[in-house]
Amino acid sequence: MFSYTFQWKQAFARLPVMLEGAVVTIEIALLSMLIGIALAVLLTGFRLSGNRVLSGIAATWVEIARNTPALFQIYMAHFGLGSFGLHLSPYTSLLLGITFNNAGYLAENFRGALKAIPDTQTRAARSLGMTPVRAFGHVVLPQMLRIAFLPMTNQMVWAILMTSLGITVGMNTDLYGVTQDLNALTFRTFELFALAAVIFYLITKTVQIGARLVAARLFRY
Amino acid sequence: MRALLTAAALVASASVAHADKLDDIIASGTLRCAVVLDFPPMGFRDENNNPQGFDVDYCNDLAAALGVQSEIVETPFPERIPALMSGRVDVGVASTSDTLERAKTVGFSIPYFAFEMAVTSNDSSGVTSFESMKGKTVGAVAGTYEAIALEEQVNAWGEGEFRPYQTQADVFLALSQGQLDATVSTSTVAQANVKSGNYPGITVVGKAPFDTDYVALFTNREEYGFINYLNLFVNQQIRTGRYEELYAKWVGGDVPSLTVPNAYR
Repeated sequence: MFSYTFQWKQAFARLPVMLEGAVVTIEIALLSMLIGIALAVLLTGFRLSGNRVLSGIAATWVEIARNTPALFQIYMAHFGLGSFGLHLSPYTSLLLGITFNNAGYLAENFRGALKAIPDTQTRAARSLGMTPVRAFGHVVLPQMLRIAFLPMTNQMVWAILMTSLGITVGMNTDLYGVTQDLNALTFRTFELFALAAVIFYLITKTVQIGARLVAARLFRY
Repeated sequence: MRALLTAAALVASASVAHADKLDDIIASGTLRCAVVLDFPPMGFRDENNNPQGFDVDYCNDLAAALGVQSEIVETPFPERIPALMSGRVDVGVASTSDTLERAKTVGFSIPYFAFEMAVTSNDSSGVTSFESMKGKTVGAVAGTYEAIALEEQVNAWGEGEFRPYQTQADVFLALSQGQLDATVSTSTVAQANVKSGNYPGITVVGKAPFDTDYVALFTNREEYGFINYLNLFVNQQIRTGRYEELYAKWVGGDVPSLTVPNAYR
């Protein structure tokens, strides 16, 4: 039933444009991870603070980020905020949506990592005269990031793949958006998306292998 | 006897081998049409969730001509080709512009409809014509003729921003919210959406000077028998007055000519 002649040349001719899109995809994923990690550390701090309001904020954030589709979060960043007159560009909406998602998942990863660090370490640090913030920053946080490093890699891969949801808010400069544009122009659907899939695979595989090498170097005991 | 059997087997296998898409459709008793149901008045769903519109009627007419049942397969714009190539549909009745680039991939019939493009703007954007869109944030439905033309125009202007959205509904939502200053869509779609009242604060402000957007039925490129049939069908729709009838039913106003002056086809 599948009758289709593949024209790979037509797809390869578009490779430079697609690679430009891939750069934007990596850029968004990296930014969303950096901001996401910072926010997640903050959320984790909120949870540890013992303050009802702060831990309430953290819990709500994590609940929404983890229990609604990323598509919904990105759509809300664009059209949801848009209905209140706050107009974000597709790029910002996508970045905001993914960052929100990342922060929620990472906060949960960090919580798990924290559980692996014995409480006695904090107590020991405190008894040495460190303030709670200092004890967290100097003793707990570095260990937490080490334990959570590989889960963070997973989230990075997820962030890269989530950029493809940007098309729902009018994004057309990332890898998926560029591919979709080219598809409309040429109708070479299968070649173009196969090529995009390979590029996505290569990016995420590079991230995974890179992270493993970094981990092996940094986290030797 | 053996020779006779061999001959019979040959004939049987030959007739199987030569069955083309047209034969398959007639044999299966069902014509499956890819129709975009997010594109009123060409294709949409009524309050009972039933497919309605010009393209839906057109598909039903085609099925009736073939003497088979019609099946409307809802297909968003970007999924028209995968739907056809994976064999989920037989023909696209999906307001598809017959560009030369696309004709390298699929086979088009002669045009069955023609669109004129209109500019719709947000009332507070200050856009009052096609030219005043320069430097503004504009958008259209990804993968459509007008989106491709508009993106080229924005690049030619060198200022402003183009945003493709996935559905016509998202474009008008973004326009109504003020995320977009203006959009170019087919005039039929623009009128239908402004009239619907779902999107306050937007107005059709004029025509877009793009070439007439001829749209054609499409099927697999190599199915000459079926493409022949589609061409004759489109011709007959016009000859019998059915085209005008459907145009009056769904769109209204002056019926656009489907022929290009001074050209054979």
